[in-house]
Amino acid sequence: MIRRARTAAVLAAALLAAACSSAAGPEEAAGPTTASQLTIAVPEDVGPLNILNQSDDPLTFLVYDRLVAPSPYAEDPQPWLATEVRNVDPRTWLISLRDDVTWHDGEPFTADDVAFTIDWFKRVPSGTYSHHITTVPNIQTVEVLGAHQVKLTCGFNCPFLGSVTLAHVPMMPEHIWSTIEDPESYEGLPVGTGPYRLAAHEPGQSYRFEANRDYFAGAPLVGTLLMPVIPSPTTTFTALRTGEIDAATQFLPPELVDQFRNSDDLEVVTTTPLQFPELRVNFLRAPFDNPEFRRALSMAVDRKELNDTVWLGKGRVADRGYPHPDSPWTNPDLRTPYQPQAARAMLDSMGFADTDGDGVREGPGGPLNFTIYVDGSVPVRVRAAELVSEQLREVGIGATAQTLDSGALSDLSDSKDYDIYVNNITAHGVADPTQFIMSHYSGYLWKLPDVPYPALEALIAEWKATETIEDRAAVGFRMQELFNRQPTSIPLHYPSGEQAYRPEAFDGWVESPGYGIVHKWSLLPREVAREAGAIIEPGR
Amino acid sequence: MSRLPRALGRAGQYALVLLVATTVNFLLPHLAPGDPVTYRYGGETAGLTPAQLAEVRARYGLDESLPEQYGAFWAGLARGDLGVSVDYNRPVADVLAERLPWTLALVGIATLLAFAVGTLLGAVAAWRRGTRRDAGMVVGVLAVDAMPGFWIGMMLIAVFSVELGWFPSYGAVAITAEGAAGWLEVAQRLVLPVATLTLATVGSIFLLARAAMTSVLDEAFVRLARSTGIPEHRIAVRHALRNALLPVYTNLTLAVGTLVSGAVVVETVFAYPGIGRLIYEAVLARDYPVLQGAFLLVTVGVIAANLLADVTYPLLDPRVRHDRGTGDVPAVEATR
Repeated sequence: MIRRARTAAVLAAALLAAACSSAAGPEEAAGPTTASQLTIAVPEDVGPLNILNQSDDPLTFLVYDRLVAPSPYAEDPQPWLATEVRNVDPRTWLISLRDDVTWHDGEPFTADDVAFTIDWFKRVPSGTYSHHITTVPNIQTVEVLGAHQVKLTCGFNCPFLGSVTLAHVPMMPEHIWSTIEDPESYEGLPVGTGPYRLAAHEPGQSYRFEANRDYFAGAPLVGTLLMPVIPSPTTTFTALRTGEIDAATQFLPPELVDQFRNSDDLEVVTTTPLQFPELRVNFLRAPFDNPEFRRALSMAVDRKELNDTVWLGKGRVADRGYPHPDSPWTNPDLRTPYQPQAARAMLDSMGFADTDGDGVREGPGGPLNFTIYVDGSVPVRVRAAELVSEQLREVGIGATAQTLDSGALSDLSDSKDYDIYVNNITAHGVADPTQFIMSHYSGYLWKLPDVPYPALEALIAEWKATETIEDRAAVGFRMQELFNRQPTSIPLHYPSGEQAYRPEAFDGWVESPGYGIVHKWSLLPREVAREAGAIIEPGR
Repeated sequence: MSRLPRALGRAGQYALVLLVATTVNFLLPHLAPGDPVTYRYGGETAGLTPAQLAEVRARYGLDESLPEQYGAFWAGLARGDLGVSVDYNRPVADVLAERLPWTLALVGIATLLAFAVGTLLGAVAAWRRGTRRDAGMVVGVLAVDAMPGFWIGMMLIAVFSVELGWFPSYGAVAITAEGAAGWLEVAQRLVLPVATLTLATVGSIFLLARAAMTSVLDEAFVRLARSTGIPEHRIAVRHALRNALLPVYTNLTLAVGTLVSGAVVVETVFAYPGIGRLIYEAVLARDYPVLQGAFLLVTVGVIAANLLADVTYPLLDPRVRHDRGTGDVPAVEATR
């Protein structure tokens, strides 16, 4: 059960804090913690935040809210639009909703909106949210019990529903979307319950968000958010230096970090992005279909050298496997050490031997010569691919890095016409425990049920039968151990993300798991964000 | 040949150019690996089922064979419909219409400036050819011409935005100002991109104008003019420069033709929302409808520029008027 216990007291304190124009104590911020307007650069125009099209979570969830906050990536998510989410039996959840929430157009938020959202995501082609409703978990029925209470029933046990699914799915207004026949093409400005409404969107150029002063959790700390679209990091951080923008969602390029740290006008914070570059291997193709070969491959990759050489020691050595170690749902005991001797021994025992003395082993299918594809527009990944090639050669596996553009890479991934390629996988993939299961069905980590994987399928069956979060997490940990013994994704580096801002404009930025510093939790009274478990406290 | 058959013949040529260019521009993006739906919706963690992906493909007509898509493209064109962008999920015509004014402003002003400044400097250098001033101008202009456009842009930003704070470093639209102040901000945001593009292109115009002017100055009619005692400045401007302008004008009309294709590098450095950046992003996303629409725009632009050259060239060069009256030498070709 997840219940909001101290809501009223917290909101009262928050509103008082907001009224006093300071949400954070002096120990937390030296500069202003409120502002009438901020300019924040974003790298991409994702359209008018149509949830079915491109999405950018930090922007999307300025406008929309979830029943549980802040996200599936947080340690202890709390009811948000809900007041309580209760697991009454292994397959059934009762959800009580706030009765003081309105949509931006003044319509009240009710249980009908929740029921509509669940049913709507079953109908529309939005994999990001839909598959969490139709597949893992499988929400079969939604029953409206009253204006502010709904009952959800799953097709199999769903102890993660409250902490993961409901912390992931945005709530949609029935009165808007029920009348739209072609929702994927809808270009209207979104109507949400969130702390900001999107007031203007200039395609390719900018967004303008205005504060929702009637927000149920307290008035936002910044009145207007101007978000120019600046794709180039160089242009973005030049504009930050000149004071044309106050913050950016992009991470600082490593070469600018020290320069920005030494600036009197700029502040740099180090965040932990829940994402990493990974080596994907084509498990449908020999010899990568052999779990022992994949294990040898993983042991042959020296992640420390990658961290020190390619990423200049910034971030962490990726020796704790997949998923991301900072996800609350990741087994803390996972280890994937660099063991080239063991890798050689395994390759020997599999019969891969260098018979012609050219440094590359041969097997039944010929020499072990592979291509590592990589996006040519990301130099650091190209360098990583080159270094991995050298490392693999040390154990007798020939590999050559080859650059492609992002369009060709997506085709390669879709067609599975590759040996190995360097990809970047983001929070949804590396920190959401239900996505870990889904990824084994989608073709990303495996391709169930077309390609059998008995050991994993047995664990998934066990996982589905669990009735508590603890039991489900424990089976999830065993799945992760199995995965890292024969990985189809080899993390290369756990990056850190340096974000910069101008403290003289606003100094209330806080990190939320997986979202860096630019998100709604930085823009809400600090006590509110803290109560929602939405921020990473300094020193944690 | 009389005017009507010649006009019909030229119209036929343009129609053929349009057909061939449009067909090639349709086929090339389709030949590259990948497709817009895979790029946009195919992430394996997005989890669209094969049926959902097929539905999305059908929505954009990408489930049809290539000839069918090609036929649908022309049928759409006949209705004035350029299709729907997969990446933007909006009508291509709207996407292009939003970008075109910014590109026309940026590239148009920069082109005119580059031609004005380049021609003037080239003429002066030719008039003073062999002197230190000529050598200095050649070295200076070539040095600027050798710099990549993005580098010039970054240097201008470093000096005029970061150090002096005179001009904004990015964007096109006024962020907050409205009315007259908003237009002033738009103009301010245009200064550095225009300066960059002008500097990046002025070198070739300078060399062209200098060579043309040098060549004309060696002509017999210039020597004759000098021998008759006509003042030097009058010879330079009224006799030599007017004739030297002809190849420069040809290049200007050709440049006008590519004006709508934008300036990818400068638009990227300054986050300027023009057609060049749009095309670059559409290539990465394999956004066929946007590429087809943008390339069509470029093709039409080039044809329109040729038409402009055809129509205006006789006004500048009496020899062409004479040729057209007696022979059959096309305007632009006659000067190449």
